[in-house]
Amino acid sequence: MVRKLAGLLATLLATSFVIFGASYAAPGDPVTFLAGGKENLTPEYLAAIRAQYHLDDPFLVQYGRWLGDAVTGDLGRSLQYNDQVADLLAARLPSTLGLVAYASVLFVVFGVALGVMAAVRGGRTDAAVVAGTTFATSVPPFVVATVLISLFGVQLGWFPVMGGGSLWHLTLPAVTLALGALAIISRVTRQAMVEQRELDHVTVARASGLSERLIVVRHVFRGALGPIVTMCGLVTAGMLAGTVTVETAFGLNGIGSLLVNAINTHDFPVTQAVLLLMVAAYIAVTTLVDLLQPLIDPRVRRT
Amino acid sequence: MKKTLALAGLIALTAACGGPAATTKAPDPAKLTLVDRTAKAAGPLDSAVWLLDEEPGTLDLDSDGGTNNRTVMANVCERLMQTQPDMTVKPWLAEKAEQPDPKTMVLTLRQDATFHDGSPVTADDVVWSLKRHAGEGMDESDEFEDVESVGKTGDHQVTIAFKKPNALFVQALAGGAGIVLNKEVVEKLGKDYGTPGHEDGCSGPYQVKEWASGSQITIERYDAYWNKEVKPLTKSIAFKWADDTALVNSLATGAAQGAYLSDTGPAVALQANQAVSVAYGATTKVFVLLPTDRGVLKDPKIRRALSLAVDRAGIAKSGFAGLARPWKVPVGAGAWSYEKEAFQTAYDQLQGAPESPQLEEAKKLVQEAGSPKEPIIVATNGEQARTVIANAVVDAAKKIGLSAEIKTVPASEFGSFYTDKSMRAQVDLVPDDWYITKADPIGFYDNGLTGSSNNWVGYSSPAYDELVAKALETTDDAARAKHVIELQRMFTADMVWISLVEVPNAVVLGSKVTGPPASQVHMGYPWAVDLGAKG
Repeated sequence: MVRKLAGLLATLLATSFVIFGASYAAPGDPVTFLAGGKENLTPEYLAAIRAQYHLDDPFLVQYGRWLGDAVTGDLGRSLQYNDQVADLLAARLPSTLGLVAYASVLFVVFGVALGVMAAVRGGRTDAAVVAGTTFATSVPPFVVATVLISLFGVQLGWFPVMGGGSLWHLTLPAVTLALGALAIISRVTRQAMVEQRELDHVTVARASGLSERLIVVRHVFRGALGPIVTMCGLVTAGMLAGTVTVETAFGLNGIGSLLVNAINTHDFPVTQAVLLLMVAAYIAVTTLVDLLQPLIDPRVRRT
Repeated sequence: MKKTLALAGLIALTAACGGPAATTKAPDPAKLTLVDRTAKAAGPLDSAVWLLDEEPGTLDLDSDGGTNNRTVMANVCERLMQTQPDMTVKPWLAEKAEQPDPKTMVLTLRQDATFHDGSPVTADDVVWSLKRHAGEGMDESDEFEDVESVGKTGDHQVTIAFKKPNALFVQALAGGAGIVLNKEVVEKLGKDYGTPGHEDGCSGPYQVKEWASGSQITIERYDAYWNKEVKPLTKSIAFKWADDTALVNSLATGAAQGAYLSDTGPAVALQANQAVSVAYGATTKVFVLLPTDRGVLKDPKIRRALSLAVDRAGIAKSGFAGLARPWKVPVGAGAWSYEKEAFQTAYDQLQGAPESPQLEEAKKLVQEAGSPKEPIIVATNGEQARTVIANAVVDAAKKIGLSAEIKTVPASEFGSFYTDKSMRAQVDLVPDDWYITKADPIGFYDNGLTGSSNNWVGYSSPAYDELVAKALETTDDAARAKHVIELQRMFTADMVWISLVEVPNAVVLGSKVTGPPASQVHMGYPWAVDLGAKG
């Protein structure tokens, strides 16, 4: 556990340095975004802004200052929003976490159900699920978003067209986000189930006269759970970093849109904090899946 | 099954395309009527949702006076003077601004004005606020360059001494430079002033109720407002932010009641929608080409030739869907807040920036300049308006015996043309939109001064420089207008910048609300006061 924690810290430190280097080297100048209107872009004014935000300090000095503050829990102030970075994150996290949680429930429930159905029924059902999920993965999220908004938001008026705040608001974005993931999970589930069905212990169980339903639930599905849980974990972790398109399309103010905006305006403290948060969340989710594995599949414990 | 799914997808897509954006046609630029205000509101309104392009970075306009920040705070913070929807300026927190001599301004303050915490607006607050605005790195500090000192000279009197006369200062006091802040509140909050979760330090008809970072800003009518003649009909306004698509959808479905548009795209999409109305008003905003001194555009003859050859009517039509009009000068007509007729007459007589290309004349100029072969590089950031303009330049250049190429720069880097010389060294022309916040064209023409930071082409004329200085010192409107008209002639004769189209200010309103001004005063005038229910 201690070694895991140390590993996490080392990863975060290395990541923060890479992010800092990247934003330092990226083309464009934060000062043009800090200056406000074009009327203001006189050399004297720009120099005053540069001094105010320490933009002329050497690379390592700037990084050192940020790191020193970050260690004491101070993530700094956003360049674009004068607000504390921690406050900005706190205000936007619930939106993104809610969205990812909602989408995860959707893709896990429907993805696994579809996968099981395809594997158990086979034949036409199998073909339909495969075709459907192929279609779902091939449509980019922004197209899905546009279609859903136009149909259910503008034409039918069933759902709000923008903003967050309630499950109702989050439904269309969550569906959009879940659609691609649902396809992946149903495929993994189907594949794992099919493989399990071929195994010896299943054949033995079947020969001993157990009902097919019991076999599927107790042997096939349980055996297949390992890869399914791993995949669900990975997809959820990936989603935390991939909500940008959906947030933008639905006017949700979450971490994703905050990050894109921060990158575009060279708002370094915010970029750094959001990316580190995403890395940490990814590590946390994958670690959790690792810890869960032995509980699901006793064989993992032995190896 | 595959077929059925594909069909379902196709139907869904068709339904999507049948939304508000597809069924419109471009309006005729000639028929665009500009109004100062929308129809007067008839009744009270409990609440309204107003859309912005993006979340304001701060509500402290001294640290950043961006368009969105100003649009919100115009209702909350008051200035010593106030710009009206017809673009004229009248006294506000100062009941008088007198100039006993050209280098002195005496402000007499109203005695009944109070801040949102109930304390009176005092001369000390005014002096402190003006000094804050003038501070290094503050958004309005450039307005105070000519100011020698600011001091309290009576219980309700503040005197400003100038190093040299400044005819624009009254206008500046109607802008961010004239905001009066509650010294006690702002000092107490320090760095937190203007960030979410803190009160405002102003005296306006609305006060900041809540800023839920990331989701919305709510302002609420301040019932103890000092000016009893002002009666806001709308109780509270929630500001939310949305990109173009979400903005169009929100207004079309009634989820939002209004927005000032910064872009013409949504206006086109909303024009045919019965549920919303779009009104256009006076503006100072003009799309221009900023030339650099890198290549052939260094020669004024080439700049003039290009100005003659570019198809302004075509740009207005394809780049702005008809929601712009060909324009000959670098400042919109919204800046003509005085001597309007003189400005209009002078404008009508100007040559050199025709609506449709005058190729023969342009070709002659190119020949006189020695028919240079070096290609002109014109920048774009991939946005529709800029790309259309860049293509129009390429087309114009080709027709008069020059050659031109387009260079696409990432949107995040486009602003660096103003700050980074090495960026400018890569291009010859930068298309951009420009507006000034003061309704006086003299606020623009200092951009043509020798060595000015936006004079990239290296235009230098002692006569011009002298006249800018003189105009800035001329407090008599009629006399100043004469100087400005001469400056306009000199600026356009040499095409320091090449003016293309004027983009009117636009406000869109849902079917149930009306009232706010349509002209470009929403960044300084408390427009929400006029918003209310339709009769």
